[in-house]
Amino acid sequence: MEAIQTSKLTKHYDGFEAVKGIDLSIGQHRLCSLLGPNGAGKTTTINMLCCLLKPTAGSARIMGHDVTRAAFEVKKLIGVSPQETAISERLNCLENLYLVGRIHNLSPAQIKKRTWELLEIMGLIGREKDRVRNFSGGMKRRLSIAMALIHDPPVIFLDEPTLGLDPQARRVMWQHISQLKKGKTILLTTHYMEEADSLSDEIAIIDEGRIVAAGTPGQLKRNLQDATSAMLITGENITPEVIAALRTEYTKVEEIDGGLRVSHRDLDFREITERLYALGVTISSATLEQPSLEDVFLQITGKEYRD
Amino acid sequence: MKFWEIGKRNLKELYRDPIALGFLLGMPIAFILIFGLAEMGETPNPSVLGIVDNDRSQYSQAFTGSLHEIPLLEVVPITSEMEAETALNDGILPAYLIIPQGFSQVVTAAEPADFVLTYDEANPSLPQRLMPMINEATRQFLNVEIPLDVELVPQESRIANPYINWFIPGMAVYGLMILIPTVGGIMVRDRIKGFLLRLLTTPARPSDFIFGYTMPFIPVMLISVAIYLGVGFLMGMTIIGNFGLAYLILFITGIFCLGLGMLIGTVARSEDQASGIPWIFIVPLAMISGAWFNAETMPAGLIKVASVFPFYHAINACRNVVSGGVSAGDIGTDLYWIIGWAVAIFAIGIAVFRKSMTR
Repeated sequence: MEAIQTSKLTKHYDGFEAVKGIDLSIGQHRLCSLLGPNGAGKTTTINMLCCLLKPTAGSARIMGHDVTRAAFEVKKLIGVSPQETAISERLNCLENLYLVGRIHNLSPAQIKKRTWELLEIMGLIGREKDRVRNFSGGMKRRLSIAMALIHDPPVIFLDEPTLGLDPQARRVMWQHISQLKKGKTILLTTHYMEEADSLSDEIAIIDEGRIVAAGTPGQLKRNLQDATSAMLITGENITPEVIAALRTEYTKVEEIDGGLRVSHRDLDFREITERLYALGVTISSATLEQPSLEDVFLQITGKEYRD
Repeated sequence: MKFWEIGKRNLKELYRDPIALGFLLGMPIAFILIFGLAEMGETPNPSVLGIVDNDRSQYSQAFTGSLHEIPLLEVVPITSEMEAETALNDGILPAYLIIPQGFSQVVTAAEPADFVLTYDEANPSLPQRLMPMINEATRQFLNVEIPLDVELVPQESRIANPYINWFIPGMAVYGLMILIPTVGGIMVRDRIKGFLLRLLTTPARPSDFIFGYTMPFIPVMLISVAIYLGVGFLMGMTIIGNFGLAYLILFITGIFCLGLGMLIGTVARSEDQASGIPWIFIVPLAMISGAWFNAETMPAGLIKVASVFPFYHAINACRNVVSGGVSAGDIGTDLYWIIGWAVAIFAIGIAVFRKSMTR
């Protein structure tokens, strides 16, 4: 049984098609990232899966339960950390976690045990009795995720979990999310390619309400049309003649400070180094650059500004 | 018991927000002091005088007509001395004048007429204001000077301060109306900040939300009502009827206000809407329901409009209990009207909230 399964999932708002027949299949214990520009339909999709929005057409199932017909059952199986931090600012950590735990019918003893586990995982030990309005953005996010996990749900939705965090806090959050991957199915949305690349087992790129590409990060990069690799070379004897000779063989050759940048489809590291030695170049350093997920994303969704 | 947990959380949110709490509990005192103290000076309002005509002759009617002509004197015909005494006791009349039987004979005989002016002893300056007016009417009566002998009878009134007795119920209902934007604002704030969204993804039912969001305001409302009535006591209010019944009327009115606030919080899209929309109807409804002015002086059409809403009934019922000493049976229609509105608004609120849970 797939943890999350959608079939032709569609949502219309007053004539506007926000989501256009999405088919998604995420196996248990997998982390899938939903990538897409602003307004692509990521949050609308998650909101339908969380039973907050009723699909206009199609269906969605969480652990085999239909989100429309068995919403109450689905809500027992999911944990949601919305885009907003969604915490009660005048309560402390313990009180926030207790509230959500009680709504999920946990006993006070169960909540207590789970609370300390989560505070440990999320690095909030020592701040558990502080009112959360005084927390940093990163701490609020971590608490928000802990609240989504208090009832130990098999499926977790994280909508932009690192939104607004500084790079250090973001990396700490990645570590926390990586720890959660064991035994959970996670669907997260993000704008950060590096985040999706580093965390995801699978990625679905969504644009204008449709899934336009899906696969593992490696598959997506390999399938990139015109996937070009680049090589950065520094060394001695890089003369204009050498550059002219290389330009007859490779797609793009640029002079950079103290060296060269050579771009070509399926660039072969050994072949180019041998060619440079043959041209009399003494290589000091050579670095091969592969296409990034951002290259994949931009090629699929275009480079125009969206909002 | 999920509503209990949601309710406890909202109660903490409430008492940990000193500005909101100060507003809720401070407003009753501020309103009573401002409006109450403003009324303590001289008023240009006409003096009210009840007339009991025991003679029922052309002469006595002509004399009453002369009294009607006096500016700043409002004459209220009363059929019997007993009715006049009750009206004085209940604070409805400040004084009444008895025209004695045989008045026409003494007038035609040019003998002194023996009148009795009974007044509320809580207002000792009243005879000084009324006597010149009665003398003036006597001079105008048939254009002749008649000898007049007025016996002044101070009567102990059960109502120490009729104005405060009239004022407090209206102001209490108006104060409870302030709950409407407060409850609505909290719900909208939680929705904007995503907290409500999180709760909506949990296995909680619409009734858990509705009761969870209204429950913490019940103690606030109980204290508010106690403050209104308590400060009223300090300012001289006398409850002739059943204190518990007056409290119950205000409590049910408060429940209605909580329900309405929750409904507005469900449909409003922003905090501004939730706190602004209610004032559009709170102020006019307070006005036509008689919170600040006597509703009976309003045009009949407005009274009809006001009587559709629960506030008019709440104010009337509370005033009748406080100053008239009426029982629950006497204000049954008003009570049913308020209870009906409270039940209806919660039913509508749950239905609307259920619909809003999955758009």
